[in-house]
Amino acid sequence: MKQDSILLFFCLLAITATIVFVWVFRSSIKAEERTPGIKNALQKRFWFLLILVVVFGIFASVTLPKSPYFAFAEEVPAKVIHVAALQFSFFLSEKSIDPKSPSGDNIELPLNKVVEFRVTSLDVNHGFAIYNPQMRIVTQTQAMPGYINRLRYKFTKPGIYHVLCLEYCGVGHPVMQTTFIVK
Amino acid sequence: MESLKLKKITALWVITILVLFLAAIVLGILMRLNQAEVINQEPLTFYTNMTTHGLTMIGIWFVAGMAAVNYLLQRYVKTSYTANLFAFILTVLGVVLLWLCTYLGKFNTGWTFLYPLPFKDLGAAPWATPLFLVALTILGLGWLVWSVSMMAKILQRYTLAQAFAWQHLSKQPKSETPPFILITMITLVGVIAALIAAVIVIVLFFAEYFSKGSFVNDALLMKNLIYFFGHTIANEMLYLGVAVIYEIFGELSGRPKWKTTWYVSLAWNSALIFILTAFFHHLYMDFVQPEGLQIIGQLASYLASLPSVAVTVFSIIVAIYGVRIQWSITNCLFFLGVIGWVIGGLGAVIDATISNNIVLHNTLWVPAHFHTYNAMGNVLFSLGFFYWFTTQHVSKLVISKLTKFALIVLIISGIGFLMAFYIGGADSIPRRYSTYPEALTTGPALARMGAYFACLYLLVILMFFYNIAKRCFAILSAPSSSVGA
Ligand code: HEM
Ligand SMILES: [Cu+2]
Repeated sequence: MKQDSILLFFCLLAITATIVFVWVFRSSIKAEERTPGIKNALQKRFWFLLILVVVFGIFASVTLPKSPYFAFAEEVPAKVIHVAALQFSFFLSEKSIDPKSPSGDNIELPLNKVVEFRVTSLDVNHGFAIYNPQMRIVTQTQAMPGYINRLRYKFTKPGIYHVLCLEYCGVGHPVMQTTFIVK
Repeated sequence: MESLKLKKITALWVITILVLFLAAIVLGILMRLNQAEVINQEPLTFYTNMTTHGLTMIGIWFVAGMAAVNYLLQRYVKTSYTANLFAFILTVLGVVLLWLCTYLGKFNTGWTFLYPLPFKDLGAAPWATPLFLVALTILGLGWLVWSVSMMAKILQRYTLAQAFAWQHLSKQPKSETPPFILITMITLVGVIAALIAAVIVIVLFFAEYFSKGSFVNDALLMKNLIYFFGHTIANEMLYLGVAVIYEIFGELSGRPKWKTTWYVSLAWNSALIFILTAFFHHLYMDFVQPEGLQIIGQLASYLASLPSVAVTVFSIIVAIYGVRIQWSITNCLFFLGVIGWVIGGLGAVIDATISNNIVLHNTLWVPAHFHTYNAMGNVLFSLGFFYWFTTQHVSKLVISKLTKFALIVLIISGIGFLMAFYIGGADSIPRRYSTYPEALTTGPALARMGAYFACLYLLVILMFFYNIAKRCFAILSAPSSSVGA
């Protein structure tokens, strides 16, 4: 999963940083009494800044195109699902949902086809996070009153998917969930 | 005796902050224990605890930075004692009102109080939301007066250009701006901007409250405003701590004082812009937000870390590398805090990358990284300052065996407490869940691990509290003649 590589990447970075700091600390402990050191610690570190800007530039140009806003933007979704969130449940439907008397259906989604979720909220801000059968997040968007967020995704594994609320919406927040099937 | 008065009010700040800190840590441990199913609280209790914990922590570490900066500013300019005292009184009043809101009124929106949640059924008393807005107003007023007064005092002594160290951008600067003044100035601009946004948010909330339905706010605009305020204030409080490090790290270590150079000036000036636009990363998952702003959010989040990482961290490293310095409790805490800050920053940059945020947003990864640079970063900066402030002398800060041991326990507790959050985040465990659905199998076990390590952390803080508070009381009870020097 993507999350595992993120955690690994983070741990590697954190360990590297720690090693550098420990090494610097030890060099100070072991140093001779009278080494002069540098006069002004803020001097001549410009190249370091420059390297970091370049590293960040590369990182940004690789990751930005992968942003979810651009996912499947050119394709026509095979199915559109309307989603309305309301303290503390989700309504999912293939037809548009009446805000006055919201109701939902059992949802079955096709495999390997682009699906579009049109997500809104009828009261407060909620989250709409899709968890795969192994309970890892595969994608998400927010459910905001007065707005419709369009989330596109292509499911590549069949099974029961969970939807959890990921924005604090009141005391029922942790029980706010639903499921749908992909096959 | 101007400086004695300043010393006493600073001691008062320190004690107040530490007492509230201990209480808020206990709330944090209770939350983790509840998520671990070791204790069993009502969701309403959990969420009032969560709201109180978040608001209290943000509040105290912000004023901790402000009080420290105010204290050190006396080396350069004469600051207003009245503004400091005014801020203290309003802060105490505001915090008392907030605790009343959460514990008597059951107010539980989380510290970010996203619109329109405060107006919906919260299981809270009907007066809780208006009282919360009043409490925010009181805090905002106190802090706005304090920060504007500090900035005004700086600008009496330095011209605007000097305060921002613009003259250092030329080849031969005619005058010198101390890094402390530069960073304080940059930070105060951010603080004031954040507080003004808070005022706008409060006015909009009140407008809807009093209009009885004829005026309705826009949820997206409110979210932008709230995060502009919340993110910026939480970010700037770190820089207040950093300003303190720039000022006293050198002298504590028996090394020359740091001086501003052209690119230090450039880095911090550009940081001002990045810090004020990085908040967009809180809205990555709102797809209706214009894409341009999302991209600005990612770039600004990256770039905002440059002055801090490249300049501060690298400066600390070269100041220490291969040089025998005096390691006191204060610069040990500073050094440890910088490590926590860097590691938390790495976690933050990963999360501020939109393509990662889609699987990390509002998972435990978020408390993971911000607790790293707060509990193991900014808090240590402030504790280091508290130690230095209460002794004022490096020779009294030497590290005993016990302190060394405490620092090691602190590191271990921090790693354990934080790793439980990071692993939880990677496991897609949501943040702000009072208990976890059965399907999220690793949630409770990680919460238990977090709770136990946090107890260790609490023990170390108790020891620091004892040392620092003892000396604070001595300062407070000292007669005017003996502490002056
Ligand atoms: C060892 C000490 C601490 C413990 C045990 C602790 C524990 C916690 C826990 C369990 C949560 C809720 C996590 C969740 O969303 O499930 C939380 C949230 C939070 N903590 Fe801490 N924390 C500690 C220190 C700090 C510090 C030093 C700060 C300083 C800024 C802080 C600021 C916050 C904030 C702002 C939140 C978010 C509250 C919200 O979601 O509304 N915490 N903490
Ligand atoms: Cu929710």
